[in-house]
Amino acid sequence: MASSSMDGSIPTMDEFEALLSTTDVELLKRAWRSEKASPEILRYDTDLVSRLTEQIQLMEETVEEKSTSGADPLSLSLYQMDLDRTLFLLRSYLRVRIQKIEKYMFHIRKTDELWNRLSKGEKDFTSRKGSSNLHAYAYRYYASLVFESNEFSCCRCIEDLKQHLEESVLSKLPENYQSVEKQSVISEEDDMVPEPRLDTFVLCRSKEYLSGIQLEDGPVDDRSKLFEMEPGVLYFICYKSIKPLVESGKIDLL
Amino acid sequence: MAGQSDAELSLFSAEELEFIAEDEIVDIVPNLKMGPLNFISGDFGPFIPQIVAQVPLWLAVALKKRGKCSICPPQWMSVDKLTQVLEAERNSQEMSEQLPFHYVEISRLLFDHAHDDIPDAYMVSIKMVLPCRIMPWGFFKCFALLSSVQVRSLIEDIRDVRFHKVETDLEAFNGRTIAVKIKNLSAMEVNIVRPFIGRALQAFYKHDSPELIPDPERVPDRRPQVVQNAPRRQLRR
Amino acid sequence: MYGRKACELVKEFASVGKGQLTQYNSDLFEQVVAECSQHHLELQSLIRKMQEEGLDVQTARNADHYGALIHHLSLVRNKRCLMAYVNNRAEIIRSLVWKIGSVLPKEIEEKLSHTEEEYFSKYSGELKKYMSKMELDLTVDMVPPKDPYIKVRVLDDIGDGIVLSDKTANFARHSIHFLKRTDAEQFISRGLMEELTG
Repeated sequence: MASSSMDGSIPTMDEFEALLSTTDVELLKRAWRSEKASPEILRYDTDLVSRLTEQIQLMEETVEEKSTSGADPLSLSLYQMDLDRTLFLLRSYLRVRIQKIEKYMFHIRKTDELWNRLSKGEKDFTSRKGSSNLHAYAYRYYASLVFESNEFSCCRCIEDLKQHLEESVLSKLPENYQSVEKQSVISEEDDMVPEPRLDTFVLCRSKEYLSGIQLEDGPVDDRSKLFEMEPGVLYFICYKSIKPLVESGKIDLL
Repeated sequence: MAGQSDAELSLFSAEELEFIAEDEIVDIVPNLKMGPLNFISGDFGPFIPQIVAQVPLWLAVALKKRGKCSICPPQWMSVDKLTQVLEAERNSQEMSEQLPFHYVEISRLLFDHAHDDIPDAYMVSIKMVLPCRIMPWGFFKCFALLSSVQVRSLIEDIRDVRFHKVETDLEAFNGRTIAVKIKNLSAMEVNIVRPFIGRALQAFYKHDSPELIPDPERVPDRRPQVVQNAPRRQLRR
Repeated sequence: MYGRKACELVKEFASVGKGQLTQYNSDLFEQVVAECSQHHLELQSLIRKMQEEGLDVQTARNADHYGALIHHLSLVRNKRCLMAYVNNRAEIIRSLVWKIGSVLPKEIEEKLSHTEEEYFSKYSGELKKYMSKMELDLTVDMVPPKDPYIKVRVLDDIGDGIVLSDKTANFARHSIHFLKRTDAEQFISRGLMEELTG
């Protein structure tokens, strides 16, 4: 999308027109496809979802109005179908996210990368506080950023599952083995936390010509090679290698 | 799991693929007068009898089902064009770029809902252009119009040829494969090979590290003879 | 053999079809838990023994060290199996909320442990809260929508003045109608109508 402006270049007329003519439904469809195809959770587009929610409500009112005012049943049923399609996309999008959040909730909660998604202002603010608060703050902030009003999926849901695991298993185990994140107190890493597999191969398509993609995680021989992508051509590629490009919106997954 | 299409988190169901394809724009000739439709997904119309309008496929099919329009089959769906494509597909290992990403879904939707709009004129050359391949599809009998049968079987043939090519391409995969460029693969084809390619590449990637399988060119002399000559694994099952 | 019971527990979970639940096996579960405690006791006594012998527990590599290590690893293995058992069941429990809503049928409820029942109701509560916040029921529309109307042909005399959700219709034999799928289904299932495609 607004990828070209990120390089500091001015969008061409074509790009600009494409931008104008791209509906929110189209954007949501892209987000939905990418989210379905990506192994890890992607950024939640708060603005997009709230714009669409508004449009849906407006359309629901319009359809309601039309049906009581005895409008043409043909156009009414067509409006209803359009509404149904949009609703499906939104629901499915939110479901895919919940599904992923549930699967990797402990991992999402503890990942440092989340910290880097904070704005500078928040970093300054939190850095002045003690470091123990820092992580909790980062987490809460991240939660609000990614999940928006999604208290369901992150905070409560993690606590509920954690409590369930503690009551069913952990509390019955010897003292040093009661952590939900670690196998035992001697584990240095969180070796009990399921993580998304970032080395999954995904199918993707670039909107523009991209060069110099570092395939750092390929077989050793090829690690130094740079990869290029032609616009519109499909590639199967290791998700890790293009992760930043997916995040910046230059590449769509499908 | 939030009640989605089970384990395969990233896969699209056939219904979902069709849903995506239904947003492709097609030409219709309406036979009614209707003001513009201002949908969430965009503005379409106004509709004037006999004046071609462009609408998403789902809308075209809905109007067609209600007897309000005929759908103009896309250029690429004509027998001539498909015959050309089939020839091109047969003559080259490259995938033809003449078909849209969703050609399978689009043609299926049109066959299901608008087969009478696929012009009869396309019938003429059926005997000559169709390869002498007898398709074992009993259900073809229920299609009254030969032309759609013809177009349909051409599309099936193209599909088969393309699949064969994809299979051949896949055989060329090895542990060196880090990214696969797949030119002109269609949505449905992608969906079918996706789980396989994904897993195959992952497996190569995991097992093909030099620590596990020494590459003779990279590690000369120091390795014992046996290991040096160990054949590299091939994808052929 | 160490770890065998835990393995049985996990196998039992995996023995039924995907998304299905077996009876919560508290008996076997508690046996594995007991095995864990036993491992821990053995582990501690081995470490005590090493300490009594004046060995540095961190660096000594004698038989007792490896014995302790085996108990530790067996315990970890058991823990992972227990966690996998509960966690995977929890995943199915969540999917039940999506599929059947907030009230558990008796035959499923009987398969759950007490804490699992609690988890079920908490999760369904959270899901409800989230959906009301989003003002969107997420449990519907699991597959992409289709045209709500279908074309049908009447196969038998159904009669005049049948009242449907959006109109009243006369269904003469062989006549063709355009009906809401939900209205037509009852007639189709009784063999009075057939759906027309194309």
